[in-house]
Amino acid sequence: MNILEIENITKSFGSNNVLKGISLNVKKGEVVAIIGASGGGKSTLLRCATTLETIDSGSIKICDDVLCSTDESGKVNYCDKKQLVDIRSKFGLVFQNYNLFPHFSVRRNITEALIHVHKMDKSKADKICDNLLKKMGLSEKGDSYPCNLSGGQQQRVSIARALATSPEILFFDEPTSALDPELTQGVLQVIKGLSEEKMTMVIVTHEMNFARDVADRVIFIDEGVIVEEGPAKEVIDNPKHPRTQKFLSKY
Amino acid sequence: MYLAITMGNIKSAVTQLGVGLGLTLTIFILTLLFSMPLGLVVAKARLSKNKILSSVIRAYISVMRGTPLMLQLLIVYYLPYYVFGISLRSMSLGSINYRYIATVIGFTLNYAAYFAEIFRGGIQSMPQGQYEAAQLLGFSKTQTFIRIILPQVVKRVLPSITNEVITLVKDTSLAQILSVNEMFFAASALASSQVSVMPFVIAGVFYYCANAVIEFAMNRIEKKMSYYN
Repeated sequence: MNILEIENITKSFGSNNVLKGISLNVKKGEVVAIIGASGGGKSTLLRCATTLETIDSGSIKICDDVLCSTDESGKVNYCDKKQLVDIRSKFGLVFQNYNLFPHFSVRRNITEALIHVHKMDKSKADKICDNLLKKMGLSEKGDSYPCNLSGGQQQRVSIARALATSPEILFFDEPTSALDPELTQGVLQVIKGLSEEKMTMVIVTHEMNFARDVADRVIFIDEGVIVEEGPAKEVIDNPKHPRTQKFLSKY
Repeated sequence: MYLAITMGNIKSAVTQLGVGLGLTLTIFILTLLFSMPLGLVVAKARLSKNKILSSVIRAYISVMRGTPLMLQLLIVYYLPYYVFGISLRSMSLGSINYRYIATVIGFTLNYAAYFAEIFRGGIQSMPQGQYEAAQLLGFSKTQTFIRIILPQVVKRVLPSITNEVITLVKDTSLAQILSVNEMFFAASALASSQVSVMPFVIAGVFYYCANAVIEFAMNRIEKKMSYYN
């Protein structure tokens, strides 16, 4: 079963065509890593899939719910507001710079949406929060504020926040790009742990070793198109396309 | 004239200025009470995607900031009479005369414009990522603003708000133009009857003390909000 179905989407900012027809299906339990040079369209693809940008043409389905599709006249139709809220509850996004709420404690960062959006009891939300913090190795940090945590800890809190609503799929936008190598490891361990639990994930990353170890499939995007895709080990160790070879030779 | 500064004169000046101070403080408190929420609404309207609304608000802010507050008080006071022909006497609310009401309306309209610009700056300084994170977690626009954005904005704009609040205490003296018996008006009257500048000096001490309290309180609030950065 496909959790995510992206079909032939395009997106431009002014005259800059960032995505030039990208299709991507992600099966339940699959981990897909998206690699490529900066400015190639990786983040835009992720932002389109997570409703933060609107597409110019194509279609996106999440868990069989149509987020948007293009009709015969070429007009893109997005689902209505109510469906949008519903679709958004089915995925989580982990940002490069965390985007935690600085005025909330770690606990409130994780439970606020459960209590005020999903109308969950506080005690139940706290229980979910405790479990997630334990999983993230942050059991002691519930009452801390984000500013008192290291970057790696903040990113793990943001993963916990994204997981709190038990999404079907988790997107990561360069989750370790703001971290030093030591802190990076802690975050990658957590993501690896999720992959072992068969969490469906799409990860934009510059960590090639990590992509090879954790991802089932790697997609190399350059200049708005998918240049090469395949099993992670194959693409990263033996890239076929000259552009992929050139890109990977720098790692 | 050298006899003017006697203990008796000072005592009566302090008592009478105390009454004026009471009125000054009510103008101050009512203005804050009305102008801060109004300022927030104006800021939101100024940031509205509706071009007509945002330009109307821009013009309002521009006029409020670009003309003397004293003149604005006069206009609020005389407008009902000259435009609608309503007698000013009939506009009093029980024992509160329209001079006082016009003062509070004038101050509120003026300060709301300043607060609006402070709030707008604060709202616009918020990183887009906060909105995006809130949106994806399912918060509605109102929830996002009230739970996520506004608390952070308040912390950011607090020093500028303190500035305005302190200025307001001193600006209440402008109400004398409408013969409202606030502290400065009282001081002027006393100064001429006692033929002494002492009432002004005492009024100055009162203004300063009021602002010292405000400074202290705002510092406490700022400290309270410094649990994160």
